Amino acid sequence: MPLPKDVETTTPKYLRDKYAIVGVGETSYTRGSGRSTRALATWAVKNAILDAGLTPADIDAVLSYQSGDSTFAPFVAGDLGIRLNFFMDVFGGGSSTEALTGMAIGLIEAGMCKTVAIFRAMNGFSQVRIGGTGARSAPPITGDMLHSRAYGWQSAGQMFAPTFMRHMFDYGTRPEQVAAVKAIHSEHASNNPKAYYKKRYTVEDVLRSRIITKPLHLLDCCVETDNGTAIIVTSAERARDCRQPLVLIRGVVGRCTKPRADMHYEAGPISTVAGAYAREILWPNAGVGPADVDLTGAYDAFTFTAMLQLEDYGFCKKGEGGEYVSDGTIRLGGRRPNNTSGGHLCEGYTHGMNMVIENVRQLRAEADDSCPVGEDGRRRHTFDYREGGCRQVRSAEVSANLGWATPATGSAMVLRRL
Amino acid sequence: MTDDEKAAALRPPADPLGDQFWQSLKEGRLTFQRCKHCGNAWLPVRSECPRCLEADWAWENASGAARLISWVVYHRAFHEAFADRVPYTVAVVELTEGPRMTSNIIGAGDPEALKIDQALRLVIEPDFGLFVPRFTPV
Repeated sequence: MPLPKDVETTTPKYLRDKYAIVGVGETSYTRGSGRSTRALATWAVKNAILDAGLTPADIDAVLSYQSGDSTFAPFVAGDLGIRLNFFMDVFGGGSSTEALTGMAIGLIEAGMCKTVAIFRAMNGFSQVRIGGTGARSAPPITGDMLHSRAYGWQSAGQMFAPTFMRHMFDYGTRPEQVAAVKAIHSEHASNNPKAYYKKRYTVEDVLRSRIITKPLHLLDCCVETDNGTAIIVTSAERARDCRQPLVLIRGVVGRCTKPRADMHYEAGPISTVAGAYAREILWPNAGVGPADVDLTGAYDAFTFTAMLQLEDYGFCKKGEGGEYVSDGTIRLGGRRPNNTSGGHLCEGYTHGMNMVIENVRQLRAEADDSCPVGEDGRRRHTFDYREGGCRQVRSAEVSANLGWATPATGSAMVLRRL
Repeated sequence: MTDDEKAAALRPPADPLGDQFWQSLKEGRLTFQRCKHCGNAWLPVRSECPRCLEADWAWENASGAARLISWVVYHRAFHEAFADRVPYTVAVVELTEGPRMTSNIIGAGDPEALKIDQALRLVIEPDFGLFVPRFTPV
């Protein structure tokens, strides 16, 4: 597949492969963590530091993202004995992981810090439910709700679903095609011991589940969980001294929007999402195209969000996303597996971080499945993808994460193993 | 939740331009803004033209003719004020004059039978202490 037309981009291409993700870590995925978000974040960042073979003294910057539902970077740094040269807590959910990774590169490049931990901690089930019920159901009306609240237009699924409805009309996409995303991700999750939902579902299970908002069935929607997740970004030079195989950052695009991200339905076509713009920064920056990518992490807040992004980033022709996600391509053993951990639909909801963590492990050839671990500490993958088995992608060299905030806003990142 | 509580929860925040928009609806008119400088027409309300940034604009009355860009049917309410209304339909509609807005589709019989791009007309309904612009199939 040819590259999209090369455009002048904001990230200098000389930064390709100059930075790395050296550590990944998470808590367990639960409903009812029984812990504060501060405790979850501390747990996850600690795991990422240990994973990298670093000590807290090696970390000098912490970034986080949240939506008024979590702790702040300086508290977590304090709990881990980290003295900060930089910190920032950013407002936002999905699409933040890739965007903050890009910011971390810029911070290090500017000489402001050397090694950055990025976390997201949330009690997304037991405290502020991400689905829009409980505390999230009736926030005070602010100016940007002037023209939504009176119509009962609320909750992420409902605000995103008109995009999918229009896509079905414009391109003939069918509910059973996106239902395959849940079925396939559930197969992946069944090989992920830490996934919240390890049960395998079929397309029929999805279509038989109750309608939340037509066209969305219950099983088209992601799981709500409590968890902390973290990654550590540093220069490739420093990364060579870390414990893990090198996973280099090829290119990032962060929080790229469609025209009028404030009310994107104002401008058509509404069945196109931010990826159609973001890809013109992502692929030229990364120096690779969709055909070079071995596995994807397309954000699956809903089954259809993964489909729309894979399509608009160019993994298939415009309008053929329904076929792409249902023909076996995105399944383990297929041409380009998506969300091999089970993603948001099955593993847990993290606003994108777990999909980056998974791809880092895949590129290290260290997917944490049930395959035996050898005396050298490396996993002996069987590549038998039956239930309860392996989930390592064979010869995974290049991955792409496609983060989603809304139909109008997306971020993405290409990683490769050395 | 009493009607007064619902109205309080759903009433738009005080805003000079927003207030004019809702006041016009009370008088039976759906209005949008048109730039006198470049001719651009828009909703929701804002103080400058989002195309040319000129603040020289005027209100215009919408004819009420519109088409359905997309829609969803809520089978679950995420705000208590809508709990007794499910299933209800939320739509993106495009006024003949160009601006798009969020709204509801009413009087459609089976909401599942709605067709994208179908013609709609404006119905202004008193609701939540406001006069809410909604649409119905032609």
